[in-house]
Parts: sequence; structure tokens; C-alpha cells
Amino acid sequence: MQRNPLASLVANPLAGVFVALLIIFGISALLSPYFLTSYNMSVIARSLAFVGLVTIGQSMLLILGELDLSLGVIGGLCGIISGILMVNYGINPVVALGLALAMGAALGFINGILVTKLRLHSLVLTIGTAGIYGGVTLVLTKGVAITGIPAEIQFLGRGTVYGIPVPFIIMLVVLAIGTFITLKTPFGRYMYAVGNNTQAAKMLGIKVDRVRVAIFTLAGLLAALAGLLMVARLGTAQPSIGDTWVLPPIAASVIGGVATTGGVGTPLGAIFGAAIIAIIENIIVLFGVSPYWQGVVSGAIVVLAISFDAISRRYIRREG
Amino acid sequence: MAFLEVHKVGRDFPGVTALDDVDLSLELGRVHILAGENGAGKSTLVKLLTGADHPSRGTITIDGRDTAQHPDVFNLVAYVPQELNLFPHLSVAENLFIPYDRSDFGGLTIDHGAIRKAAQDYLDRFAISARPTDLVRNISVSDQQLLQIARASTNKHMKVLILDEPTSSLTRTEVDRVFKVISGFRDREHAIVFISHKMDEVFEIGDDYTVLRNGRKVEAGRMAETSEAGLIRAMSGAELELEQNFRPVKQPELPEETILDVKGLSGERFEDVSFTLKRGEILGFAGLVGAGRSEVMQTMFGFLKPKAGSVTVKGAPWKLGDTSHSVRNGMLYLSEERKHHGILPMLSVRENIGISILDETLSKFGISAARERSKVLEIIKAYDIKTPDMEKKIMFLSGGNQQKAIIGRAMATRPKVLIFDEPTKGIDVRTKAEIYKIMKTLAEEGVGIILVSSEMDELRKCSSRIITMHTGKITGDFDAETTANETLVGAIFGTETKNAA
Repeated sequence: MQRNPLASLVANPLAGVFVALLIIFGISALLSPYFLTSYNMSVIARSLAFVGLVTIGQSMLLILGELDLSLGVIGGLCGIISGILMVNYGINPVVALGLALAMGAALGFINGILVTKLRLHSLVLTIGTAGIYGGVTLVLTKGVAITGIPAEIQFLGRGTVYGIPVPFIIMLVVLAIGTFITLKTPFGRYMYAVGNNTQAAKMLGIKVDRVRVAIFTLAGLLAALAGLLMVARLGTAQPSIGDTWVLPPIAASVIGGVATTGGVGTPLGAIFGAAIIAIIENIIVLFGVSPYWQGVVSGAIVVLAISFDAISRRYIRREG
Repeated sequence: MAFLEVHKVGRDFPGVTALDDVDLSLELGRVHILAGENGAGKSTLVKLLTGADHPSRGTITIDGRDTAQHPDVFNLVAYVPQELNLFPHLSVAENLFIPYDRSDFGGLTIDHGAIRKAAQDYLDRFAISARPTDLVRNISVSDQQLLQIARASTNKHMKVLILDEPTSSLTRTEVDRVFKVISGFRDREHAIVFISHKMDEVFEIGDDYTVLRNGRKVEAGRMAETSEAGLIRAMSGAELELEQNFRPVKQPELPEETILDVKGLSGERFEDVSFTLKRGEILGFAGLVGAGRSEVMQTMFGFLKPKAGSVTVKGAPWKLGDTSHSVRNGMLYLSEERKHHGILPMLSVRENIGISILDETLSKFGISAARERSKVLEIIKAYDIKTPDMEKKIMFLSGGNQQKAIIGRAMATRPKVLIFDEPTKGIDVRTKAEIYKIMKTLAEEGVGIILVSSEMDELRKCSSRIITMHTGKITGDFDAETTANETLVGAIFGTETKNAA
């Protein structure tokens, strides 16, 4: 059976989105002389790092056929908690960060338990828990940022190694681990099985609920990690952290080949998707597009990207 | 002049030719059998006949008009798909007439009274026992099947009716109801296309036939002038041993042993079920749809919760209500709902099979791709799974090959008890024989096999013993070789209760 090269390229969503990323990268480099400067590259890398960590967790949930809209506020709340622990209680930063991470995992775990035990729809449930977690942030801070974060942790957010921003390196390490889990471990296979066909997964003897809870927990942990790194970068714990981490990770996942219906895609593809969004947002700024128009432009590009994806998918289906 | 004429039609998809040089002519007042193995191109052809897809070559003429110029003539064709595609949460009447503008009930508001009255006419004509106001999810499977045909016939222009395996989940009496409806249409000068893998039905209802193989027309003619063997030869391209017996032969070197002992098991829709399964036998379960056979199996497997009773496997008490315990300890259930309970549709054949051999493929650095590929290849070969390559998504395989992949996957875990629930539903004759052979071999190797089936022929061919169930209770336990068909049918319908084992 012969396949034309274009078809097999489109058939592999990872290769497809990678090519799209390269093209957008190339066009951006041609369009703006500032794009390739090391300063601009590190700006993109840093912004990709935070949203990327959330994207890795969210994409794994989407592969399962689930979704967590409270990841953004989990990041914000855990950042605030770390700030309160370090500043108001003078707790050792390492311990404080550890506690805040554990709390992120716990919040994700609660989402997972509620979704599995009460058989709730994760979309609706996490709209609710997002309200609760976000509300707690406001109660704790009364909307005011916590300043005076110890300087020794700011390296995590602001530092560079060989010119590469530390948060970006952390994100890459997490991505490597996430990719290994999804593609090379039995647990990863179980994720895809659950996302493809929950009933069949049960018939195969997979503990479906356990897989779900584990990924909700992991996603909560990663959101908390993103929140902490943001606190370290800003030097203050702000209640607004995480506000922009809700929808872009979902859009990035879909651009990167993760189906919202579950069962297909990889965290790596989702990160490629996030990179595409980050570059587009960057180039809009470089072009001096009015901030009022930025939402329109980046939204339109997301619609274009997923339309392309849907059209190519139809092409593949016809082939099968 | 035939009413619908397909002339030298071909359909290409990127990289594959699904149909080539196909002719078909349908005459009014006759039932035309469209025969072929899974993947022969029947569905592709049906799509062209209904206008859902368009041919790459050739012409389709309906009522003397070329469909390429007059696409509106496709409204003379009504199609009833194999899978139920009704709206479960709407009423019977609403299902019949949706979309309303097509059925003259359009407008801003819907006159429910009028719809109900019109629906009752159809229900009477088709002998459907459900009421117009019943929700479709609450009516029986056979009523749903008939309702689908009734819905197709609400199309006033219909002259051609295409039925894709309308009887695959029906019992004999229900099949008779469907056949009555089909004969009714035939006598009122409609052309019927009937697709089925059940040979006895095909010969009972068919007037003409066309056989497809690998996307080409290989034979056509009058049913009266062919035979079952002839039809099967045309479909498979090979002479098949038809009346072969697939009952496992007793292996003298294996000691007699009770593998499974079920005592007083009760649950949703079944009561006080007790039976034993011995090593080396295939235990058949016969009964009507809804007799509770699948529920018993799913409860043993842990998918459903028991109300009472106990299960012992090889002398040890068995934990109920936990599928992962069952799989780990060697009991597997292959569901009749392949699509819903079996395959992982968007994953490759490799991943679908590989998921049950992770113990063997796991290395220090995660799942070893090389080891997985070679193990999966062994299974693909051992079970003769036909796929272009193991990276093909399993949803693109034919039903028979999906089933073989699922059996291969199950066998890779070396189970002690394997439960087949309607394993050959919608599967062609040749693949059926292959699956029977696999069951026989496994039983002779000492795996305890349970076969739940609605086809008496299948049960007789394969089982050592047959247990009959009627409305949730066991009504008999028979030796498959020596018991008369009438006795079994009687037990299935619950007219006599006796134990002849």
C-alpha cells in the first residue's frame, strides 16, 4: 500500500505540529529582526516555561478524556501559600516550597476523587472547585500581593544556566519525565486505554479510577510548581498568578494533536502547541499590535490551527 | 430493465481501491442478497447506493435516471444501518418522524397528538408492541430493530430498502417478524437489499444475489440456482469445510478437573445460577436475548455486582466485583459489544495487543519497542490477524480481525477461564470457522471455555455441553451431541424444565 509523503506527514500529528512550529518560527525570524535576539528568545522560553508546566498536566488529563479548569487557580493558591509560609511565618523556603507543592498535589487529588467517586463530569466539577480554590486565594490575600519573598529562591524564577532560563530547564525536565511516563510505561498505556474506551479498559482489568486520580494529582502538582516558579520570578506572591493558565494549555494541547475527546496525542505535542502560541503572542508584541487587538489575533490563529487539524484528520479518516 | 442499476462502479481512497468494476441490478418486487466477507466492500457499495458517498468511476442509475445528474433520485432509497442509531431519550413516535419537515409534521410547533396517531399506524403495520409514547431506550431490542425499518419506510418516496444485518441481535421468532415486514414490502413492489452473514436466513428470504470479494463483483444470479456451499465458495474464494465439528476432543493425558464451580449466583436479571465447568470442555450457554446469560458472565468476571452466591476457581474461592482481580488471576471476558467493551479504537493494533503483555515487554528503560513489536508479531501470526501493518489503528480493521486481535490479546495473558459472549456476531463464515478452531484448540490445551451464543447452530458445532437459560434461570444442562434441537428450544423458551445431563 503506497502512501504519499504528505499524507503520512499529516498522519503523524507530532511531525505535523513540529513542522508548523518550524514554519511559524521561520516566518517570525524573517518578519522581525528582534525575534532571534537572545533576549527575545529567553523571554519566549520563560513565558513558555510557566504555561508549559500546566500544559503538560492538562494534556495528560485530556488524553484520559478529562479536563481540569482549576489548574490555574491551583497554581495561584499554591504560590500564595508559599509566600505566606515564607514571609508571614518565616519558614525555611525549601520546606515552604515542598509544602506548597504537596498542597497542589492534594488539590488535584481532591478533584480526582470527586470526579471518580461521585462520577461527576470533570468540566463542571472543576468550574466549581476553581471557584473555591480561587476564592480561598482572595480570602487569604484580600487581593493584595505578598512581598518580601526570600532572595535565595528567586534564582528558580530569574536565573539562567548557560543563558537558558532556569524555569525553562525545569519545564524540559518535567516534559522528559512526562513523555517517558506516557509513552514508555505501563501506566502510560493505561492512560491511553482509559481515554480510548473506559469500558474496554475495565474489561482489561485496569484500575480506571486509580489512573484518573493519579493524573489529576500530577496535574495539580505541576500547576503548583508553575505557581511557585512564578512567585520566584516576580519576587512577590500575587493573587493574579495563574489567571492566564486556564484556556491556553487546552488550546495548546489541541493544536498539538491531543483530542478533547481523549485517547490520542502526547504532552510533547502539546508543548509544541504551547510554543506556537507563545511565538505568536511574542510576534504580536514585537509588531507593536495594540494590546486591545492581541486577543483577537491570537484567538484567530488558534481557530485556524485547529481547523487545519480537523481538515487533515478528515483526510486521514478517508484514507482509512 | 432493472429499477436500480450499478454499472462498472469503482471507488478509490488515497492509497486503496475499495471497489472496482462492480455491477449490481435491483428489480422491484425482489429481495437481493448482497454477500461478501467482512471487508469485501459491501458497506462502501451501500454508501454509494444511498448517495452518502460518490463513485470514482462508473454510473448508478435509479428509475432510469443517472444519479450523477439527478442526485435527488437517492430519496427513493432508504437505508437501515446495522448499528442501532435511534435517539434513546426520545419517544417511539418522535423517532419515527424526526426530522419533522421530512415527514410533514414540520412547522413552528409540533402536533404531538397527530404524530402519536400516525405512529400507531406504523407500529400496527410492523407489529411493534411498544407504544408511541414509550422512550426508545425502554423498548426491546427487536422492537428497536423493527422501528428502524419503520422509520426508513416513513419516507413516502421509498422504492429501494437496504437492510444491513437487521437480524444480527435477534432471536428466531423476532427474525420471523422482520421477514414478514420484508415480504410485505416485496409484495408491494419494492426492491430490497438484504445483507447478512447467516446462511439459513439468506436462503429463506433471498430471490437474487450478488457476491463481492476484495472490492470486486465475483458472482451474481438467482438464489434458487446456487447452494450454501456455492455461495460460501464465491465469498471466500476457497472451498471451506462446512459441516466441520469443532467440539473439543478429550485429551487423555489431562486429568479430569473442575475449573469453575458456580453456586447459587444471583444478580440483576438472573437468579440462583449454579453450574460447573470442567477442564477440556466448551460449555455453551443458550437462551433468548435478555435471558440473563451475559449478566451471569459479567458478574463472574466482576463487571457487575452479585446479590448472592459464590464462585470457586480451581478449588479456591473467587473474589467477585473486581475486574482487575479477575484478569490478574486468569479469568477473561470477551464482550459481545466489541466496539464498546473490546477495542481501544484510536490506538494501533500493536498498542491494543501490547497492553496485555506489558510484563514481558517491560525493560529497565520502559517498554521495549523492539520486544513489543516481535511479541505482537507472533500473536498477529498465531491468530492470523489480517492487517497491513501493526501500526494501523484497530478501528480500521474488519470486525472479524478486530475479534481475532482481541482473542489474541486475551490469550497472551494465559487465562484459566475464557468467556466468549457472541464471539461471531457480524463475522463472516470463514472467520467464524477460524474462531471456532481457536476455541477448540484452547479447550484441548486445558483452558476452560464458556460460549454464550444465540445461534443454535454455533452452540451445537462447538459446545461439549449446553446450558439453557430462560428469564434469568437455568432451565437445563444438556449433552450437545445427543440432545435433540426441539428439547433445547423448549428449554430456551421455558416450556419444559428438566435436567438431562
